[in-house]
Amino acid sequence: MREELEQIKREAAEGIRAAGGVKELEELRVALLGKKGRLTGILKGMGRLSAEERPALGQLANEARDFIEGGISAAKAELSRKATLARLAAETIDVTLPGKARARGHYHPMTTAMEELKRIFLGMRYEIAEGPDIETEYYNFDALNIPSDHPARDEQDTFYVEGKDADGGGFALRTATSPVQARTMERGRLPIRMICPGQVFRADEVDATHSPVFHQMEGLVVDKGVTFGDLKGALMVFAREFLGEDTRARFRPHYFPFTEPSAEMDVSCFKCGGAGCNVCKGEGWIEVLGCGMVHPRVLEMRGIDPAVYSGFAFGMGLERIAMLRGAISDMRLLFENDVNFLNQF
Amino acid sequence: MIVPMSWLREYADADVSTRDFAEDITMFGQKVEAITKPGERIDRIVVGRVAGITKHAGADKLLVTKIDTGGRMIQVVTGARNLSVGDFVPVALDGATLANGVTIKSGELRGELSEGMLCSIEELGYTRHDYPEAPENGIYVFSEPREPGADVRPILELTDEVVEYEITSNRADCFSVVGIAREVAAMYGGPLRFPDCSPEELGGGRAADHIAVRIDAPELCPRYAARVIRNARIGVSPQWLRHRLTAAGVRPINSIVDITNYVMLELGQPMHAFDIDEIAGRRIIVRNARDGETFVTLDGQRRELDASMLVIADPEKAIAIAGIMGGENSKVTEGASAILFESAAFSGPNIRRSSKKLGLRTDASSRYEKGLDPNLALVAVNRAARLVELLGVGEVVPGVVDCYPGVVSDRDVAYTADGVNRLLGTDISGDAMASMLRRLGLSPYPGGVSAPSFRRDITREADVAEEIARVYGYDNIPATLASGTPTVGRKNREQLLEDRLKAAMAASGYSEALTYAFESPKAFDRLLLPEDSELRRAARLVNPLGEDFSVMRTSMANAILTALAANYSKRNESAALYEITKVYRPSALPLQDLPDEPKVLAFGIYGGADFYDIKGAAEAAAASAGAEADFERTADVPFLHPGRAAYVSVGGERAGYIGEVHPDVLAAYGIGERAYVAELFVAPIYANAIDRPAYKPLGRFPAARRDVALIVPEGVPAKAVERAILASAGAYIESAKLFDVYRGAGVADGRKSLAYSLSFRSPDRTLTDAQADEGVKSALVRLADEFDARPRV
Repeated sequence: MREELEQIKREAAEGIRAAGGVKELEELRVALLGKKGRLTGILKGMGRLSAEERPALGQLANEARDFIEGGISAAKAELSRKATLARLAAETIDVTLPGKARARGHYHPMTTAMEELKRIFLGMRYEIAEGPDIETEYYNFDALNIPSDHPARDEQDTFYVEGKDADGGGFALRTATSPVQARTMERGRLPIRMICPGQVFRADEVDATHSPVFHQMEGLVVDKGVTFGDLKGALMVFAREFLGEDTRARFRPHYFPFTEPSAEMDVSCFKCGGAGCNVCKGEGWIEVLGCGMVHPRVLEMRGIDPAVYSGFAFGMGLERIAMLRGAISDMRLLFENDVNFLNQF
Repeated sequence: MIVPMSWLREYADADVSTRDFAEDITMFGQKVEAITKPGERIDRIVVGRVAGITKHAGADKLLVTKIDTGGRMIQVVTGARNLSVGDFVPVALDGATLANGVTIKSGELRGELSEGMLCSIEELGYTRHDYPEAPENGIYVFSEPREPGADVRPILELTDEVVEYEITSNRADCFSVVGIAREVAAMYGGPLRFPDCSPEELGGGRAADHIAVRIDAPELCPRYAARVIRNARIGVSPQWLRHRLTAAGVRPINSIVDITNYVMLELGQPMHAFDIDEIAGRRIIVRNARDGETFVTLDGQRRELDASMLVIADPEKAIAIAGIMGGENSKVTEGASAILFESAAFSGPNIRRSSKKLGLRTDASSRYEKGLDPNLALVAVNRAARLVELLGVGEVVPGVVDCYPGVVSDRDVAYTADGVNRLLGTDISGDAMASMLRRLGLSPYPGGVSAPSFRRDITREADVAEEIARVYGYDNIPATLASGTPTVGRKNREQLLEDRLKAAMAASGYSEALTYAFESPKAFDRLLLPEDSELRRAARLVNPLGEDFSVMRTSMANAILTALAANYSKRNESAALYEITKVYRPSALPLQDLPDEPKVLAFGIYGGADFYDIKGAAEAAAASAGAEADFERTADVPFLHPGRAAYVSVGGERAGYIGEVHPDVLAAYGIGERAYVAELFVAPIYANAIDRPAYKPLGRFPAARRDVALIVPEGVPAKAVERAILASAGAYIESAKLFDVYRGAGVADGRKSLAYSLSFRSPDRTLTDAQADEGVKSALVRLADEFDARPRV
């Protein structure tokens, strides 16, 4: 019996070595260890042995079983490992083929620029206000301290809309987003910190730098004790956030009917840093916005007492900024809606 | 405003480089637009004395000259015929550059050495207006002997720098050399040297004996001051004066006209000179024009006037359009002997309107428009008279005929140092403020400042604050960050939802478009809108850029189709575009109040897309807000395919339309393939938006699934079947999802097979097969009843 066990072990080892696949190993296992297997038969016959022989032979038989089971399972693992390696090798691909992207849409570069500005001012605790595109002449002009004979009414090349209101007032496409300032002040909720981005309209013929429809963003702060220094501070934060930490700003006296004192803000050229280049036309500075302390008359017209409250306002055109940032040379591209242009942003 | 530096320095000190000066004055509030140097490119052009002239042996039309260039004799070949030995001429040496940038090289001309070029006045950058004595097609000959070899630039005043300023509309006073000089004096703290305005009046008689003035429209003409010049000698003005006019962009004409223009540039007061002998009755009447009155202006144009315009007239005829342009009939020509100088104040707005109506804007009108100081009129007419004396071109008759019905005086403006500091955020002493104001020519007194009439822009404390800030320096005001009353910076609900819509459209593959809010009324025809369509009720612009931009859009259909067409015409294979913007819906036309401006989400697509692609985008847009869109077929949208269009509603509210574009409309837009458009009001989407989705418990027990294929008549909408299943399949039905539509073998003509996957689930136990089967059975009964639906086997 002892020899028979050794014989089985030898045959098992031989069989495992010769097995070419999982199936043959399984057949071998059944032949030796299955219900009718040879080793199983031997184990079943153990009861017939004498009490002296049984422990030693029992141990030998168990060893043989462990040997066979271990060998088969190790061989199976090895086969499986080889199969996996073979599969992986066969599945090698060209990783340099182009990736598959679901075609996604793109934001208009004007939106991208506007959203960045909004984020900056939201962070400075400003709200975003909106107003109508078709405005009364009153809100577009009178409320901004531009009476009917004021030259600024000509300078802005206003589009007028047919019709008159009950008081004989006319209608116009807003020439700036400033009417939103007047409407915001009129709500009477103070303090005010708001920006109003949006489209505005002026009777300019279309060319590379002009469009009859363009975008502006204005801002308004009204509170007790607001100073010109605060205006400078807020706009310098904006300039550095929007154009870069090293940006310098300067404020030049200017004139707007709705602010006093008024200023224009130039920023150091974000291309050359102030040395002078084609972007800043050699000046080192780029004019980006107009601003000033809200004219006391404008506050009074909206029922705000200029002796108690003061404020500042600012406004900038967005096309030029978006164009400078995107190296866009022709404003018409912004309104042509060519997907080959839009999908670059 | 253009001011040569040399002219400016006559009235104010500016002892810095022009570049630094430009920087300083810009920061002071008079922005420098440009600095030009007329003689900038001229190089190596010197005075030469013609020492000899001989004929060119090889060319009849050429001369060979010997030119003394100061220490060196050179030979120059020239074609000019106006030279004599001994003349002093400008000569460009070898390597010289002319005003136009052309360089001159030594070379041979028909075998004769030519070591340079003799120059015409044009080659030095001037015209014969500047140098009337210069010959046409000839060499310029200096009128007096010059040092041979000397640089011609200083002699011809070509070394000056000319500064162009952007003057803001509130500072009419700065449209003048003296006005700028006043700013410079204030800026650098130096003196202002006002020009001599005191004529000696050596002519005989009194001005009032020669001329009478009557103002019939005092509200349009607050002042009319006139002086009379006798024995005028009309000729060419001296070179220095012509240079100044030219440098400032004004063409020299004759000594009298040049004086009026010179005074306008110097003081900012437009003037006009009349030939007194052409003024009937020697009576000036300032009156409104008559409707239909015509008048020939100095430029030879016949102009039709109306009663809103102001004219200067004599008893018989108009002789000038006030403040805009004089007339052919009274202009000063060589033969004139007695001259009337007009220096008047006119209503700025009136001049502005008249100038616009006439389409005639002049140096004078552009100054009057801004509102001039009436007190300047007298100063200016006196200055002009003094210049007549200084130039010796006439005799000034004593006295001024001065009608001044609208007297303007200095204005007292109250301010406090505290108020100014509070506005600026500064800490400037009251004394310092007073001294700053004095530098500007204002007169501070305790509690206020007196602003002279040339500074009518100063009306209240804020204006005073700006003046102080300018002198103090805007850049010296410390930048601060106001703490102030706290506010919250956030987007409101609509703004946040709009962000979500945009993100959804991008995810669906649509790029954002930007279109004009106005369009052509022809769009309504292209869109096949019936005559009575509400969408034709559009607000019209009074002054559009053209018919194509003349109405405010009532719908986005045209804008999106135009954008798609633009891409199609560029042969782009496909385009998917959207825009969230406004349409304009007037309640009355012409407008009586502001129209509704509802926001819409509009989008369109062509190229490899079908109805269900754009529908998917609409569903995704609604879903971005947590809302659900419903679609109901319609054949009522004129520009859409009647079988492939739907009304879209959200939360039971009509939001808009979606569909394939009608083939006739595609043709009208020149789009050669199927395209799809949609337009949804955002309001119903926002109204049904779920801002904060609430958690619904996840099903803990497994779902039982049953697939059912139903044969229904072709016209039955799949959505209706789905609704019926959900309504009839018992308490446990969870969802019914369409997964197949089939027509063909096994399905009769006029019918289709719809296959749904039904899911049943209970929140508290595992369902038995019987329970799921019961649900299916119950649904089949209802579907058979409602849609004549039979299960497909």
